[in-house]
Amino acid sequence: MRDPVSLKIELPKIPDIELVAVEGLDRLARFAGISEEKIGEARILITEAVINALEHGGDESPNVSVEFTITPKEIVIYVRDYGRGFEPSGIADPEIEEKIRSKNKRGWGLKLMKSMSDDFHIESDRTGTRITIKKFLN
Amino acid sequence: MDLPFSLTSELRDSRLIIATSGYVNNIGGEAIATEFNRHFESGIKEVVINLAQSKVVNSIGMSFLLEIIEKLEDAGGRLVFSNLDPAVDKMLTIMGIFKFAGKASDVAEALKSFS
Repeated sequence: MRDPVSLKIELPKIPDIELVAVEGLDRLARFAGISEEKIGEARILITEAVINALEHGGDESPNVSVEFTITPKEIVIYVRDYGRGFEPSGIADPEIEEKIRSKNKRGWGLKLMKSMSDDFHIESDRTGTRITIKKFLN
Repeated sequence: MDLPFSLTSELRDSRLIIATSGYVNNIGGEAIATEFNRHFESGIKEVVINLAQSKVVNSIGMSFLLEIIEKLEDAGGRLVFSNLDPAVDKMLTIMGIFKFAGKASDVAEALKSFS
């Protein structure tokens, strides 16, 4: 594969809709000749980005936009919601020692996206949140 | 992508082995926790979760497994994950889960780790 391949999808808020994005990733990766092994982490990144966006998206525009591009070097994932936004720097990374003893054991999405990606960028304001993730393939 | 969740469980020498198939989301995670609780109430404290057939998981599903770890910690028991896809292995590592749970390449190795 020489030319980048891209997919843009608009996901409604219905259960397990993130799997549609995962399926799209799998198909593009197969077309691009990228091995299953190399896209495993990208699957988790897309899953986390979409469920995070669906959870924090607004009620008036609950859909989530997903776009990803595969090149021989990298997978670029862009996920956008239309919620009220939040201050990313105000979200502390969860710690396992605290989470195990906490009633709220959730809240791992941002930490996973930051840690599993090779480049992570988040912008958030009152019109929504935009997350861009890069995963290098080499 | 059709990845309906299902699980099977068996007891071997008072050790619980839960094997999953499909997407471990909130529903899958809750199903694992429910199956664990059923056996935990009967005194089972050593548990293997075999994720060989679950290549896609999410953090909400995994957060249900923290409940299992909490209960086993309090009871002096232990959880061991087996047959992890490399990406799932990395996810659990980032979450810090292996500070409180073990991992093994397969179920046999997991069971051996309890001895």
